[in-house]
Amino acid sequence: MLTIHPRKAASTAYTIRALLLIALVLSSAAAASAQSLPDVTAMSVEDLMNVQVTSVSKRSQKLADAAAAIFVITQEDIRRSGATSIPEALRMVPGLQVARIDENKWAITSRGFNGRFANKLLVLIDGRSVYTPLFSGVYWNIQDVMLEDVERIEVIRGPGATLWGANAVNGVINIITKPAESTQSALASAGGGTEMLGSGSARYGGRVRKNTYYRAYAKYFNVAESIDPSTGRSAYDNWDALRGGFRTDWTPAGADSLTLQGDIHRSGYGETLTIPSLDTPYSSTFPNNGSISGGNLLGRWNHSFANSSTSLQMYFDRTSITENSLFTDHENIFDIDFQHTFHASGSQEVVWGLGYRSSHDGNDSSSTVSLQPSHLTLNLFSAFAQDEISLLDKRLRITVGSKFEHNGFTGFEVEPNTRLLWTITRNQSVWTAVSRAVRTPALTEEGLRLNSETIPPGIPQNPTPLPTLISVYGSRQFKSEDLLAYEAGYRMQVTSNFSADIAVFYNHYTHLRTAEPGTPFLETSPTPVHIVAPFVAENKMGGGTYGTELFADWRVLPKWRLLSSYSYLQIDIRKDLDSLDPTADNPGLVSPRHQFYVRSSIDLPKHFEHDFDVRYTDRLPGLNIPSYYSLDTHFGWRPRKDWELSVGSQNLLNKRHLEFLPDFINTSPTEVKRTFYGSVTWRFE
Amino acid sequence: MRRLRLLVTIAMVILPTLGLDAQAQDSSVSSEYLIKAGFIYNFANLVQWPSNAFTQPDSPIVIGILGEDPFGTVLDRVLAGKKVNGRIFVVKRLKSVPDLKECQIVFVSSSEMPHLAEAIRLVKGMPILTIGELPGFAQRGGIINLVLEDNKVHFEVNVEAAKEAELNISSRLLALARIVQEPTADKRKTE
Repeated sequence: MLTIHPRKAASTAYTIRALLLIALVLSSAAAASAQSLPDVTAMSVEDLMNVQVTSVSKRSQKLADAAAAIFVITQEDIRRSGATSIPEALRMVPGLQVARIDENKWAITSRGFNGRFANKLLVLIDGRSVYTPLFSGVYWNIQDVMLEDVERIEVIRGPGATLWGANAVNGVINIITKPAESTQSALASAGGGTEMLGSGSARYGGRVRKNTYYRAYAKYFNVAESIDPSTGRSAYDNWDALRGGFRTDWTPAGADSLTLQGDIHRSGYGETLTIPSLDTPYSSTFPNNGSISGGNLLGRWNHSFANSSTSLQMYFDRTSITENSLFTDHENIFDIDFQHTFHASGSQEVVWGLGYRSSHDGNDSSSTVSLQPSHLTLNLFSAFAQDEISLLDKRLRITVGSKFEHNGFTGFEVEPNTRLLWTITRNQSVWTAVSRAVRTPALTEEGLRLNSETIPPGIPQNPTPLPTLISVYGSRQFKSEDLLAYEAGYRMQVTSNFSADIAVFYNHYTHLRTAEPGTPFLETSPTPVHIVAPFVAENKMGGGTYGTELFADWRVLPKWRLLSSYSYLQIDIRKDLDSLDPTADNPGLVSPRHQFYVRSSIDLPKHFEHDFDVRYTDRLPGLNIPSYYSLDTHFGWRPRKDWELSVGSQNLLNKRHLEFLPDFINTSPTEVKRTFYGSVTWRFE
Repeated sequence: MRRLRLLVTIAMVILPTLGLDAQAQDSSVSSEYLIKAGFIYNFANLVQWPSNAFTQPDSPIVIGILGEDPFGTVLDRVLAGKKVNGRIFVVKRLKSVPDLKECQIVFVSSSEMPHLAEAIRLVKGMPILTIGELPGFAQRGGIINLVLEDNKVHFEVNVEAAKEAELNISSRLLALARIVQEPTADKRKTE
């Protein structure tokens, strides 16, 4: 059952206005009748080779091949959206829930369970997993790339555990940068605006020998702090980051290709933090800051044989996080991965692989957050095999496979899946899949103590004469969370200008995390003497989620493209009967039930481009956040092929709105404002 | 204030679309497939077919599109009324792989990746210029592969495959191409 929530009159007015605008756009564009094309036959091959083209999405090609709910963001999509960060670019993925908590914190998830420490989404950048073993999630303020060098971002909603392993539970995001050969020019870009005060990036690509290409880049930005809606004063949530990196690709004649790439980064951020204290007023709120630094180095060797191919990848990744007043953490990850793909017969393609991952964590605690042990090395061994069988002239493809993992906390985990893709006609396909995924425990779920709040003495909630500290604890008994997912989808290329796809899913979860009350105890240090009311991580929640995601891509005119998406999500998760977790709200209350967007991209005369997108996000009753519309626009102009100017605005419809609230760490959320920005990009040989 | 906001919104969303009406003035549209259509015309001009490829001296050059047509109407419109050596162009959307035998040029769309080997096997040795846009198309026996690099269209040519098809590719075209070979063991060292 779809239920439409009564919205405030104001947002209805916005809706009408937004629809009116869309209608106007539609009619004015439809009025643009048959246009004459420039005579490309009069151009020489040399001329044609020098024309910068706007590439059509390769989405349909990718889509036709996957028995999963996959969505691809192309380089062109990123450029046209005016996105300045990965989270902003992800807002265009149907059904993904992207919300900003403050200027440097996000909550991003797929198919529910959102939060700053959301833990069911796996994110990879060029094959390097960027999820942190600390909470099995992603520090979005660490993840960045030179957006101009991104080839595509592949987003799979639904489990991908058979190929990617534990934690690819509700989705996988693959950020893939271009090979160095495709970035053989120099590029410099500078921009600024009301929120992103200043940004600058530069990249240079070149060739060493005939078959060796490289590029190097550096990037800096500085984001202004915003206003804390509860106090009207600065929320101190500024953010700045500097990063640099390189990539080299060596393709000796023949069947080998080698890639070596790496990045280093350093960033600083601020926030308004509230931590509990044991004296009146039992909490303190203050401007806080932190810094993050790190780097990674990745090497990959691909070799193709007549009928098979292998890939060997190794990387090292180090991240140091200093969250002042909270926590200091150093993580070193080494990962090696081998894959072999071969054709077992004409109709069977087998992929198998082996992996090993070692992560070392070292941390320093504070009075608010501590993690035991302070040094820990975890080893993860994995193997997988998958067979893709093609039947009926390749129109029916069946994939069966499983991952087998051994981790330091829960031992063996098996993550099988089976997928079926039926190409009904050249333009239509249906797919269905059943898969199991697990989310293995994070370090914090095993050894955390987080003091979240002090209940003052002598009030009804705490009649004792001592302050009571509510503390969240990890537990050695914490197990993996389990998912059994049933999915199906249908894709259709209606005409060469219109395609649509729909995915439906039912996810059944067991052993989800709860915080069970433990026996209160007296603690004398730190003084004064206080009672600790522990809440311990256990696995006493489960249930189902279901939903659908629709996407349509319509090239109305050769120069005008409309994309739209709608998603529906229903979450029916309940704590087990023996759970005493008082805070186990239905996670459905923090996920928007309905989301939709319309995105328009128009190529205008004189090398102008115009884009806008209208997004609707349903209310989050659990966080008391009302539904909202937002409108972003972007203008681009390429006066010459080597220059590009861009101006845009975000959130044009309403002055400001809250998108999400923090969890666990009590930082002040800030509103997403109406912002304007501009940038200049220069490419030269 | 509210009114101003509405005006700004309208200005940012509506005004640009009015420009769509003025598209005819635009002299340098740069959509990928418009440029690729330009390449196809040039290829037709710079490739010589053996005489047995055509039934009549004025037979049209038949271009078949195999798979999902990425051109829309662009290719037809670009080639409408154009002639090469007295031959007009005919663009066909091929329903099945065997139909490609009636063509002089076959454009293999990226949707045909799964059927690529079959298509190439079928035209092997026939005077058909195969043009693709798939990674490895030329290495796998296609003749010309269009590749995007830094948002520009480049092309690879498999000279061996062209020879087998008895197509004579002008040296002017070859000078601009990246020459690729099929990675069979005996040919590998010559690269």
